[in-house]
Amino acid sequence: MIRIENVTKVYKGEVLALQNVSCEVQRGEFVFLVGPSGSGKSTFMRLLSKEEKPDRGRIFVAGKDIGELPNWKVPFLRRNIGCVFQDFKLLPNKTVVQNVAFALEVIGRPRSVIKEKVPAILELVGLSNKMRNYPDELSGGEQQRVSIARAFVNRPLILLADEPTGNLDPNTSLGIMTLLDRINRTGTTVVMATHDRSIVDKMRRRVVELDRGQIVRDQSRGVYA
Amino acid sequence: MSLKLDYVLRETAGNFRRNITLTLATVITVTISLTLLGAALLFGDAVDNATVRWKDGVEFIVFMDPEISPELEDDIRRQLVDSPEISGFAYIDKDEAYAEVQDLLGDSPELVEVITPERLPASFRVKPADTLPERVDELAAAFRAQPGVARVVTASETIRAIEDLSSGLRQRVIIIAIVLLVAAAVLILNTIRMALFSRRRDIEVMKLVGATNWFIRVPFMFEGLVQGLVGGVIAIPLIWLTNNFFSVINDDVSLELLRGFTVDPSRVWALGFQMVGLGAIVGTVGSGIAVSRFLDT
Repeated sequence: MIRIENVTKVYKGEVLALQNVSCEVQRGEFVFLVGPSGSGKSTFMRLLSKEEKPDRGRIFVAGKDIGELPNWKVPFLRRNIGCVFQDFKLLPNKTVVQNVAFALEVIGRPRSVIKEKVPAILELVGLSNKMRNYPDELSGGEQQRVSIARAFVNRPLILLADEPTGNLDPNTSLGIMTLLDRINRTGTTVVMATHDRSIVDKMRRRVVELDRGQIVRDQSRGVYA
Repeated sequence: MSLKLDYVLRETAGNFRRNITLTLATVITVTISLTLLGAALLFGDAVDNATVRWKDGVEFIVFMDPEISPELEDDIRRQLVDSPEISGFAYIDKDEAYAEVQDLLGDSPELVEVITPERLPASFRVKPADTLPERVDELAAAFRAQPGVARVVTASETIRAIEDLSSGLRQRVIIIAIVLLVAAAVLILNTIRMALFSRRRDIEVMKLVGATNWFIRVPFMFEGLVQGLVGGVIAIPLIWLTNNFFSVINDDVSLELLRGFTVDPSRVWALGFQMVGLGAIVGTVGSGIAVSRFLDT
């Protein structure tokens, strides 16, 4: 599903974010990306959705070399990749329903599809009772559920989660992990960058550890360190 | 096409509400620059019309000394009749001249009172066969040297003066209008950038979930288009006002020289619509540039 070949990324000609990294993720896998701050986790994720371009190397997503993708096709790549962030990135002036519907609206889905899909996905993430609330009326965990609903409503092949539990307490984090696990079981490939030792140790999934821009460990059913 | 009209309209209306003062400033600048440009072009047309009338009309006027003897006057008349270089002339006697003055100074009876027909010069309005300015000047000079002639006014001198004045004026107004138009484009660019900035979170999310650049761009370009259109539409009545000002000149200054200093209404309308089109182009292009620069970073 994802193949990275000898990728190097340098910011402003001097900050080495990734150095000759190669990695392959199969369809339906769940991968933890661990490592200290600045080890290149976020760059790894941003390269996959082509928010950044590698200085060297090639990246394949769903069998396609995304380096050869013309700029106008990048939005269509992103429709296959759901993204979840530490800070949720919800729109404060839109309700829960509107936030999720917005993701379908701006890729031109017909209203009938939106009406059917949005309540279904909110049911899945357990927020059916908060549909008319605004993000600032929700807890952090609930906000992250909205953000996951938005990322997953279009049924992407890949879900990228950049420290999705970074702002949440351990119990809430577990709830989010259960949700991501459920999404993974539907066949969606999940890549999650995290600092959360207890979660990684509990889930026992594949762990890829980055340090100073290089992969120093790649372990199936691994632990945090 | 996945773009929906109601979506575009909703987004544009929202942006207008958020940036009302900036939008107003932009529309006003568009209006002023388009009005100036339209007025300058209209002015040029009016001058063309005025001078065209003159070119097939009277080229010079020979004013006689008021005290001229009938013999000398007949002498001049005979020269006009005999000369092959003159195709026609009209004689304006003292009474006719007095009638014209009364007409001209109708609003100031005290001035008319002091003027009597005896004190006014009779004149010949002459149409030469050859209207080349150099030939007209030669002819006029010949008459100017005649005894009993007070002075000779060639229309071409005056017309050339008007043409010089108008082309200078027109150039300057067009330059000012273009500078203002560029300012309007920059203002539109800035308005759109403000709108983009206030909606940067929305745009970030839109890019995140895979909205195409055109989908993001079109509502903002539509906003620029509307600003340009509204500015242009407001400019139409202002251009008409300029045209009315021309006809005021035409009616008040009874100088025959300025007769025909007017523009056909259909031409004014055409010019107005051209200005609306120009406003639309400036608005759309300005906002398109603003969005593209925002999206590429």
